[in-house]
Amino acid sequence: MVDYAWLVPLFPLLSFVILLFFGQRWRSGAAYTGVILTFLSFVVAVTVLIDQIGGSTAAVTFDWLRIGDTVLSMGFAVQPLNALMLALVAFVSFLVQLYSKGYMAEDPRIGIFFAYLGLFTFSMLALVISPNLLQFYIFWELVGVCSFLLIGFYYYKEEAKAAAKKAFIVTRIGDVALFIGMILLFWQAGSFAFADIFEAVEAGNIAPGMVTLTAILIFVGAVGKSGQFPLHTWLPDAMEGPTPVSALIHAATMVAAGVYLVALMYPLYLASSAAMLTVAIVGGFTAIFAASIGLVQRDVKRVLAYSTVSQLGYMMLALGVGGYVAGVFHLMTHAFFKALLFLAAGSVIHAVNTQDIEKMGGLWKKLRFTGPLFLAGALAISGFPLLSGFFSKDEIFVATLGAGRWILFAIALIAAFFTAFYMFRLFFLIFQGEARHEEKDVYESPGSMLVPMIVLGVCAVLGGYVNTAWFGTFLADWFGSSTNSLGIDESGGSPGVTIIATVVVLGGIYLAWLIYGKRAISREWLSGRVPWVHKVLYRKYYVDEGYHHTIVWFTSGFSRFLGFFDRFFVNGLVELSAVLVRAVGGMVRRLQSGQVQTYGTVVLIGFVVVILIMAVTGGYFQ
Amino acid sequence: MSDPYFLSILIFSPLVGMIVLAFMPKDVKAPLRTVGFLATLLPLILALIAFVRFNADMGELQFVTSVPWIEIGDPEVTNSSLYIYYALGVDGLSLLLILLTTIITALAAAASVKIQKEIKGYYLLFLLLEVGMLGVFASQNLLLFFVFFEMTLVPTYFLIAKWGYREREKAANMFLIYNGLGSAVMLIAFIVLFTQTGTMNIEKLQAIDFSRLPSTVPLAHSAFRYGLLFALIVAFAVKLPIFPLHSWMLRVHAEAPVPTVMIHSGILLKIGAYGLIRFCMGFFPEAFADFAYGLAILGLINLLYGAFIAFRQSDFKLVLAYSSVSHMGIVLLGLAALNTAGIQGAVFQVISHGMISAMLFFMVGVFYERTHTTELRNISGLAKSMPRTSGLLLAAGLASLGLPGMSGFISEFMAFLGLFERLPVLAAIGTLGIIVTAVYVLRAVMKITFGKTKEEHQSVADLRLVELLPAAVMIGVIILIGVYPAVLADSLHLAIDSVLVGIGG
Repeated sequence: MVDYAWLVPLFPLLSFVILLFFGQRWRSGAAYTGVILTFLSFVVAVTVLIDQIGGSTAAVTFDWLRIGDTVLSMGFAVQPLNALMLALVAFVSFLVQLYSKGYMAEDPRIGIFFAYLGLFTFSMLALVISPNLLQFYIFWELVGVCSFLLIGFYYYKEEAKAAAKKAFIVTRIGDVALFIGMILLFWQAGSFAFADIFEAVEAGNIAPGMVTLTAILIFVGAVGKSGQFPLHTWLPDAMEGPTPVSALIHAATMVAAGVYLVALMYPLYLASSAAMLTVAIVGGFTAIFAASIGLVQRDVKRVLAYSTVSQLGYMMLALGVGGYVAGVFHLMTHAFFKALLFLAAGSVIHAVNTQDIEKMGGLWKKLRFTGPLFLAGALAISGFPLLSGFFSKDEIFVATLGAGRWILFAIALIAAFFTAFYMFRLFFLIFQGEARHEEKDVYESPGSMLVPMIVLGVCAVLGGYVNTAWFGTFLADWFGSSTNSLGIDESGGSPGVTIIATVVVLGGIYLAWLIYGKRAISREWLSGRVPWVHKVLYRKYYVDEGYHHTIVWFTSGFSRFLGFFDRFFVNGLVELSAVLVRAVGGMVRRLQSGQVQTYGTVVLIGFVVVILIMAVTGGYFQ
Repeated sequence: MSDPYFLSILIFSPLVGMIVLAFMPKDVKAPLRTVGFLATLLPLILALIAFVRFNADMGELQFVTSVPWIEIGDPEVTNSSLYIYYALGVDGLSLLLILLTTIITALAAAASVKIQKEIKGYYLLFLLLEVGMLGVFASQNLLLFFVFFEMTLVPTYFLIAKWGYREREKAANMFLIYNGLGSAVMLIAFIVLFTQTGTMNIEKLQAIDFSRLPSTVPLAHSAFRYGLLFALIVAFAVKLPIFPLHSWMLRVHAEAPVPTVMIHSGILLKIGAYGLIRFCMGFFPEAFADFAYGLAILGLINLLYGAFIAFRQSDFKLVLAYSSVSHMGIVLLGLAALNTAGIQGAVFQVISHGMISAMLFFMVGVFYERTHTTELRNISGLAKSMPRTSGLLLAAGLASLGLPGMSGFISEFMAFLGLFERLPVLAAIGTLGIIVTAVYVLRAVMKITFGKTKEEHQSVADLRLVELLPAAVMIGVIILIGVYPAVLADSLHLAIDSVLVGIGG
């Protein structure tokens, strides 16, 4: 079946094309088209995955563009990492589209919504099966534009407009770095194909400095896409998009593409310890940085967005310290529980029509399904024992410690504490306590929304068992079986680390319960004592403001300066020359007066001058 | 191809429409429009036939015609006389530009339905302009090239001066002065070449290695060649335009009627790029290589200067005008790379920008007809009342900022691919332009389509069928090139090889 992997992206593309032309007229028909075609795609993806676990691989290319003697090709490839991604993306996309059928049912533009989702799913799946960096880049940009379109789906809202623009431009900064890295690698390896690049790296044909440079440039691309510091600012704003989009694109799939890119290019990173360290530090810093912001935000989707940034930081950290399997494992479990959390949050928002957690409360009894599902997601992401996040996070801790990165390990632990705290702050504020919402009739969401949540809930709880030190490291064995060049060396469990991590997580949950559940500790206990800490966190460390006063200000000023320069200097020169021409013209025109006397005088003067010249120089006859 | 009349028929085929128009009464608007539009289909069909019949694997010129045209000197006195030939022929580069010309002219003719006054005169000039453009790209003789080149100036002048917006006359005059000066410089350079080599045949001139000429000929000296190349570069720099010779072009973009701007920015500017490749690079490969660094700097200036200024413009037409300045910088960067990837990227950019800017200006016309403004602050939220138009504008905008899957990406990618091999630092600086382009395109496009809809634009009509079809064709071509670039690259590679042979790359 791996030879038919190209079918997987084809179905969503078909969905996009159909809905682009007919979507406006259909309503539920559009939703069914999207859901059914994505389901087909998922079925094929699963068979590909099963086939690949059985050991099959595929690599098909065809000529695409000739540049002189160089032939650029396109095609698809299947290996363990992307077989897993393929199934994961198709799975989450299918569930989210099913959910959207209910969530977006009232929207008059549901047709175009599903068309965009189809285009996104196509691009993301095609990205995953790319056999070369150029094709990867092409679809990398396309998922970016889909993200842009969907963030700006409510085009009439100024916030959505600004957020969409910001997302496009900030990620494009990263994309340009990736673009440069890609071209530099091409001139080093003579090809865009991953296999050729890795061969050149392993053969030592690329200078170490160049390896580090390209690895870091590519990482900057990943930083943009995966919302890592300092290019993270677009991701929280991206929550202006419809909630299913946040779940699919800005939690489970596209933002993980940066992590996927680093994992994909792993042989390049392994060849440069400086690049690895950069990845680890940026990831670790982002993990704690974003988690700390998440502690105080009031918008449920923003908290989840910062949580996503933070969890992506964990994945980068894992890859940076050599924990290839740990990073990919966390990518997978995160896709389950974060998609679940967003969908559950969407269900809550759907019920109470607000995103402000201060205006929720007491929803546990009213939302009989959403509540427990949200709890499952919150426990999973916090790393509560025996749930999926517990295993994947544990591996990241082990890998970090195994690499001897004590400081990063400590940072990761504190971030885990924050994670548990902000997740349960959310949980208690939304579901416990008295009702603070204005909505009178609060109803549970329809079945089409609940079913995907239930499926994801099961995955979030059980998904971790594909790779545990206790039952079997199936994931690591599978990755390890296909290639041994990834440096996969999973040391297995470490009971000490597990115990410490569990204590930290339980501590975070307990503290959240004390403050927001039992209310034994006043909420103002800390913010009252050191108000600036709360303010700095609430304003997200003033990063946006900082950018506004530096980069935006400079760009704007510089472009204004150039505008004036063009108008008054360049154009001024033109005007000046026009004035000169006119002045000369005016003088000459005065000579053409039509008066015979003047002409005669001029002729006479000229004649005299000619004779004088001839007399002085000896004349014509000499 | 052994069909000596084919190219002549193609070039002069717009005359058929002109003759029919000439016999029609002045005041029948609809029939004049129909004939005017149909007349552009004939060259389009012929160009498509040429494209299909063109043998991409044959290195020589195809569809060649060569007839003695002007005889200079009396054979009885000087014993030998010089001939100037009426010589036509196409290689892949010429052919693609001819195809581009016929496509964009047909689309511009479709966009001309909005012209209200003196339709007959309008279409006559319009078709005459097409003859000139087709001739420019098919000429194999410098004098013939020059004649056709001048033939594009006159109708363009009148099209701007008569059917343009408020300050149309000033814009037309500026157009004529700049382009007149440019072509004067060009003519001088051509005549110098002719007197020193005795031929005006482009192919022959490309084959001559000037440094091997006897040292009595000034052209054998490199300093002289530098001077001549510089003159030619200046002549075509006006046309492209290269900073700081771009002021005239902004006015034309702002004041000319929409179909004229489509042609102007879609094709006429491209004559500058064509001249740089065909004459500057073709005749003086070594001197050009020495100038490459300077050209790369100029390209960088064009790219960033245009992009940064476009970011602050309040008139959408000026955003697009500066955007053209910026995008032509990529052409220069590609040429300065002096390798296959770069030159191929430059040619792709010429064609891609032709389609994209034609489409963007077409959309400007659609919006202007309904809102009577192109000031960005006066329009917003049109996605509500005009969803299709807005979607197409957004698509064209994304193409313009180089989204993969559309033609703009392919050209940018190849130009930078080429430049990174030769001048990586300049190329790295140039990638800044990719970001700024995204900023200004999104700012302008989202200003128009996103946000709250203005009261007075709540119920403007969406695209009509006559507008939808041309827009669909344009976006279709843009996507086709983006997805399957080999459709252009296959006919181009031999033409590019022949340019590169001289440089030795």
